[in-house]
Amino acid sequence: MSVKGTLKTKWFWYSVLCIISWGGWTIFGKLASNEIPASTMQFLFPFGCLPVVVPLIVSRHFRLERNAKGISYGIGNGVLAGIGSFALFAAYRTGGNTAVITTVTALYPLITVVLALLLLRERLTLLQVLGLAFAVAAFAIFSL
Amino acid sequence: MHMASWFLPAVVVLLTWGIVGLFQKLSTNYLSAESALIWLVVGYFLLLPWLYPSKSVFEYSTRNLLLTMLSAGLNTLGAWALLAAMKSGGKASIIVPLTALYPVVVVLLGPLVLKETITRLQGVGVLCALVAVCLLSS
Repeated sequence: MSVKGTLKTKWFWYSVLCIISWGGWTIFGKLASNEIPASTMQFLFPFGCLPVVVPLIVSRHFRLERNAKGISYGIGNGVLAGIGSFALFAAYRTGGNTAVITTVTALYPLITVVLALLLLRERLTLLQVLGLAFAVAAFAIFSL
Repeated sequence: MHMASWFLPAVVVLLTWGIVGLFQKLSTNYLSAESALIWLVVGYFLLLPWLYPSKSVFEYSTRNLLLTMLSAGLNTLGAWALLAAMKSGGKASIIVPLTALYPVVVVLLGPLVLKETITRLQGVGVLCALVAVCLLSS
């Protein structure tokens, strides 16, 4: 698809909204972490999610799938994502460079790829192998 | 070897979010992406007893409390936008690496909003990491 064509698609602009939102999430999180401890920030975090989640629940007429496995994974996701988010605020609070911390923590697909390889017996694509090499280079540079 | 104080918490982020990436894949085998997002927020709430603040949250400045709430809202809005992008017919193989570029916003706005600059070497590291994120998400 041409650039002009891509610019007319909905998915592209939703993706841009996602990038801007997540950029704002990290910048505002960093600013607030200068005063508020990481644990308190993570305590407040779920309440800040409600303005997005409540309309989502209402739009589904309060109907959610009741698959026990899916719900377990979903809640497990929330617990782990919450711990990760708490650790991110703790990292910001150390006063380290925000751009570096944000970029390093955005490397989490590295762990997902390795876990998928080990647990789901998925195979790495050539691009992912190349990605691993770049991730190792980034870690080596940041540890200098 | 000197280790920056942010490094250990950053490793916790990598590990937990790395597992989240895997769980997300598994949860959406059984649930719609919207339901998975809703249950994720339920998981956030389950952590509250362990995070209960030792002092009243109202002792902090209103500005920073609002920034915290805004940060959380934007995080969830971003997750919703990602779902919406997928639903609008975009290919996951393009959308996921594209949206993984959100640190670029911080790199670009950091000097303006946070008054932080990065060294040339850190810049190379950031570039390597961004390329890695895109390739790993592909």
